[in-house]
Amino acid sequence: MKKDLVQRKKGVFAARIISNHQFKGRFCRMSLELAGLGAEAFETVTPGQFAEFDLTCASLPSPEDVPVELRDAIERKILLRRPFSFSDVRIEDGRAIIDVLYAVVGAATVRMAGLKPGDEISVLGPLGNGFTIPVKKKLAILLAGGMGAPPIQHLAKVLAAGFKNIEVVTFAGAKSSDDMPFAVSDKNTAIGPAEFPDYGLEMLIATDDGSTGYKGLVTECFRQWLQTCEHKADDTIVFCCGPEAMLASAAKLCEAEGIECQVSMERRMACGTGLCQGCAVECGTGNSGQSVYQMCCKDGPVFDSKEVIFDL
Amino acid sequence: MKKDVNITIDFAGLKLASPVFTASGTCGYADELADFMDINALGGFITKSITLLPRKGNPTPRVVETDAGMLNAIGLANIGLEQFIKEKIPLLEKMSAAIFVNVAGQKIEEYVQVTAELAKQPAIAGFELNISCPNVAKGGVHFGTDPAGVRRITEEVKKAAADKVLMVKLTPSVTDISVIAEAAVAGGADALSLVNTFTAMAIDTEKRRCVLANRTGGLSGPAIKPMAIYLVNKVYNEVTKKSGIPILGLGGIKNASDAIEFMLAGASAVALGTYNFIQPARAIEIVDGIGEYCRRNGFDNVHQLTGALE
Repeated sequence: MKKDLVQRKKGVFAARIISNHQFKGRFCRMSLELAGLGAEAFETVTPGQFAEFDLTCASLPSPEDVPVELRDAIERKILLRRPFSFSDVRIEDGRAIIDVLYAVVGAATVRMAGLKPGDEISVLGPLGNGFTIPVKKKLAILLAGGMGAPPIQHLAKVLAAGFKNIEVVTFAGAKSSDDMPFAVSDKNTAIGPAEFPDYGLEMLIATDDGSTGYKGLVTECFRQWLQTCEHKADDTIVFCCGPEAMLASAAKLCEAEGIECQVSMERRMACGTGLCQGCAVECGTGNSGQSVYQMCCKDGPVFDSKEVIFDL
Repeated sequence: MKKDVNITIDFAGLKLASPVFTASGTCGYADELADFMDINALGGFITKSITLLPRKGNPTPRVVETDAGMLNAIGLANIGLEQFIKEKIPLLEKMSAAIFVNVAGQKIEEYVQVTAELAKQPAIAGFELNISCPNVAKGGVHFGTDPAGVRRITEEVKKAAADKVLMVKLTPSVTDISVIAEAAVAGGADALSLVNTFTAMAIDTEKRRCVLANRTGGLSGPAIKPMAIYLVNKVYNEVTKKSGIPILGLGGIKNASDAIEFMLAGASAVALGTYNFIQPARAIEIVDGIGEYCRRNGFDNVHQLTGALE
């Protein structure tokens, strides 16, 4: 991935919670507001960038409100920040509003779910490189797998609003309808999950168990669709975020078809700023057969799929 | 800050702007932290470990959070000596903080070669000898657990870089840290830094596998602070107090109060490690906090805190 030419401002900012609610199973949506320098820093966020939230001050819910499988995990005293991408970032009255879609899965997100409107948390960001949108492409295909959906939603909005010349087709997959991090219409059709932002884009859904949409992997759904696609490979770009196996599968397909593909990777991170060197992503170095570790937080999280040696 | 408290210190002959360092492996090569604070207010800056050749480091996962701490097994990932000199020295030259390069290797000759080469660089004030990394198969902590070995490597490196400050970083994973500290001092160490991380392990119970790809890692963060303070106090009382060798105290520091605990226990300076990940400007806040503490408690010079434990 080319280094971003624009030097963006990043920093540690106080953000105020505007809303935070659980909307489906373990999935929650939170909106935060940043003013002043924080608003300036987040004004130019690119889809795929992220921020590190300090959730250590958020209090634990009472044990009966915690899923049984998390009751041991949540007793751990958390220390590190947690990285979150954005499902939307917008400016309203000079303030930056950030939407975050998250799942309650552990010690930090259990605390996060308890934050109330008016509470403040410390946000470090914006971090990482984000997706690069090549303006000359005619077709952008967006692939979201499970909790990979938020940055893809953000990208869908940016493409729909600012790149009218690029046709956009979105695919979202999950194990089942219940594992989709957004509400799905009860018509059990392949089109139109009610809460995936309605940007007027074509949308296909796949679930492993067939509970909604196409039955099977989202990458298989995409492969079949691609056979009917009339755009040239050179005019097409694929953007993906999801589990590593899905990214690897999309990367392989795109390479075979000669389509450019950007993947947003995920790694355990301690800092998000390049200091700890924890979030290594193995990348090839041309034809040398050698590989190097790039940092997911600083060199990524978005990589050209041809560079990445996937960890499967 | 008012001028009434002198927070500059003398550290092994170096005049430092404050007693606060950032610890190796938690502050990159300086350019990363410069985004968040004025790094010139630091007393010292310790680079990530440098080895003769570049190292990729360990496979992932390399980090995992544990109770009030974290494990890391980065595996001395670094850009290697040549690229460090070419790319990073120009950045470090602009800093007013004392620059220490953390040096690691698999053989004594490698340590000697790296330090001899870097000793030619005027921007470098000193070296931190990493004989305590728990995350590599060869070298690392194996050098740091045998007193005769510690003495020998210290002597050899000191010969290669006689006019730079040589600080030896000690592992806590030994039976008696004072024996190792004594060996480093006998070998010619100008300063000691303690402690490195504690060798530790975390297990994913669902997968019944170690969380880290390296299986074990080094534990850091607030979880280790009381143990680190005990070890600093022990080495201060048993080894360095009589020889006048300064200690750089580190292990789980998150704020000025923690830093002051280390100084009262016997440290002349302190280093902030894991907390750089959480609050990247915290080191500078600690500088201010120490000054404030001195003022409140009637110390007019920060060095008076060292070993001031009643």
